[in-house]
Amino acid sequence: MTDAANLPMGESLERIQCQWCQSMNPKTALSCSACGAPLDIRNLVSESGWREAPRIRDMTEIHFSSSTCQVEGEIVPAAEINLGQGDSIFFEHHVMLWKDPNVPLTLMSLAGGMKRAFAGMPFLISVATGPGRIAFSRDATGELVVLPLHPGMELDVREHAFLLSSHQIDYSFVRVKGLTNILFGGQGMYMDRFITTSTPGLLILHGYGNVFERRLAAGESIMVEPGAFLYKDSSVTMQVEFQKLGPGFFGGTTMSLARMTGPGRVGIQSMYVHHKTE
Amino acid sequence: MFCVNCGARMADGANFCGSCGRPVKHEAAPAPPPPPPPVAAPTPPVPRPPDPRFEPRTPPVAHGAAKCAWCGATVDATQTACPKCGASLGMPSLVARSGWAQLPGRKDMAKLQFGKSSCQIEGVYVPVADMNLAPEDGVYFAHHVLLWKDPQVNITTMPLKGAWKRMFAGMPLVMTQAQGPGHIAFSKDDPGELVALPLQPGQTIDVREHLFLAATLNMQYDWFSTDVWLRTQNGDDTETHYPCGMFMDKFFAPQTPGLLLLHAGGNVFVRQLAQDQHILIKPTALIFKDPSVQMRLHFERPSAMFSGWGYWSNRYIWLLLSGPGRVAIQSVFEPVEGESRNMTSCSYATETRW
Repeated sequence: MTDAANLPMGESLERIQCQWCQSMNPKTALSCSACGAPLDIRNLVSESGWREAPRIRDMTEIHFSSSTCQVEGEIVPAAEINLGQGDSIFFEHHVMLWKDPNVPLTLMSLAGGMKRAFAGMPFLISVATGPGRIAFSRDATGELVVLPLHPGMELDVREHAFLLSSHQIDYSFVRVKGLTNILFGGQGMYMDRFITTSTPGLLILHGYGNVFERRLAAGESIMVEPGAFLYKDSSVTMQVEFQKLGPGFFGGTTMSLARMTGPGRVGIQSMYVHHKTE
Repeated sequence: MFCVNCGARMADGANFCGSCGRPVKHEAAPAPPPPPPPVAAPTPPVPRPPDPRFEPRTPPVAHGAAKCAWCGATVDATQTACPKCGASLGMPSLVARSGWAQLPGRKDMAKLQFGKSSCQIEGVYVPVADMNLAPEDGVYFAHHVLLWKDPQVNITTMPLKGAWKRMFAGMPLVMTQAQGPGHIAFSKDDPGELVALPLQPGQTIDVREHLFLAATLNMQYDWFSTDVWLRTQNGDDTETHYPCGMFMDKFFAPQTPGLLLLHAGGNVFVRQLAQDQHILIKPTALIFKDPSVQMRLHFERPSAMFSGWGYWSNRYIWLLLSGPGRVAIQSVFEPVEGESRNMTSCSYATETRW
């Protein structure tokens, strides 16, 4: 037990909780040390229940294990990782912006790599190991989303949307089920799946435009443009449905929307045009 | 010397007020005309007082000389923005712990001065460079970046030597030039940042192709082969790829200071490399470099537990930059062509196998 008298110099018992990731931070902190969310800005929730992902301030530092991540820029932010000794991160290699020449790179071997190669996904996930610096960014305007991941969480992420993840998080991929989902789901055959272990890690996604999150109650559902889907808890189900527009037997067009059914979180991005993903 | 309009202190001999942008009447020189309003439509020029929302008045602070952290110009300490490059003064520069500095913050509507003309940078998302050219000044640009101009601003083409080479490299065949007096504005169609590079007499800068927006007429323009290439083979198909372009633009200010405007995608980061300091960057992320910075291809082969089919598919292509000198990168980049193909030959390159 700590009591106030035994606290180190300059420490106070007062803490503020980050509204995005629930981490506790010192009262004087301006941004959360675990997810980078500004602590002096109130949670922004729309009347319909969508909550805006926190806009990370320029040059904010995020800490994980013995490493730090600094987020730079506000138009197309770059995530710059200073890896500590023994820490490693994994990513798709095409998002690397620059690196120190002496940071070792290895490949993570994945089961089903061949299948993924045919689906157009990079079946090679690269791993960078500390110590050293390496930086990442993506090809269009958007936000970096640092996801709060607590033990026992399973998260499904749109393919190619993840920027990097620390080695404490388990990575696999799941096939999108059902032919309609694959053909009209607007996001291909696979989703990345991240599973937390007992050690906290860091997962950063890149969303195009702005990112919003909503928590669905059990059985509650919402229709989402398939191209806008960014992430969901694995407990949320996704089913593409067709909506007929216009009258007539042969006339009119149909559009596809994904029905997301709770319980769990759903994250969407506001710029859902199909960008080149390679 | 003080501005007759807003009262801000300014450097003796300045042509414009750094705070509100009002031209200065010099006794000897003929008075420049009042600036017409910066609007796209050819409306009759009505002099408009500066809008206090966009031109914040700052109380004069202690008189002294300050140095602009971005372009190195010596400026009056009373000014809030550098008159040479538009960077905000007195704001802490944002430098990441790794040493990359962000492009200095620029207030919307920041105004910079070149010769007797000025350039106002409007907007922060897809910024516009709005030039007010004096009769003796001119700029050149690639025609597709022209956003609007006053009808009386004369536009002519500028002959380029070896234009056919440019055609093969996919570069604009002709450069266009505009001569003052009047307003002309430029922008590019991507969210990003406008990089203002004032060049001192004798200074040269190398710029990756397609990033150039506009430059003053007193600057020489040339290009050179990057000599960074790789050749891939797929069956009988042989392709040559140029990861950072076939050519690079070179800008040189011979006798008088010049102004160069670039447009970069996303955010811009700059760093100074020490002698023999190396950094690996994505080839398509390069914006500009000092001519003293050397570049070459560098391959990295990550180690793997399995051999992998297609040995070349796990090879990453980097541009290795070696100091001394200044380099700049942008956070938006295109995929590197030919990265996952079978490479048969390439320009001088080094390799790391992990």
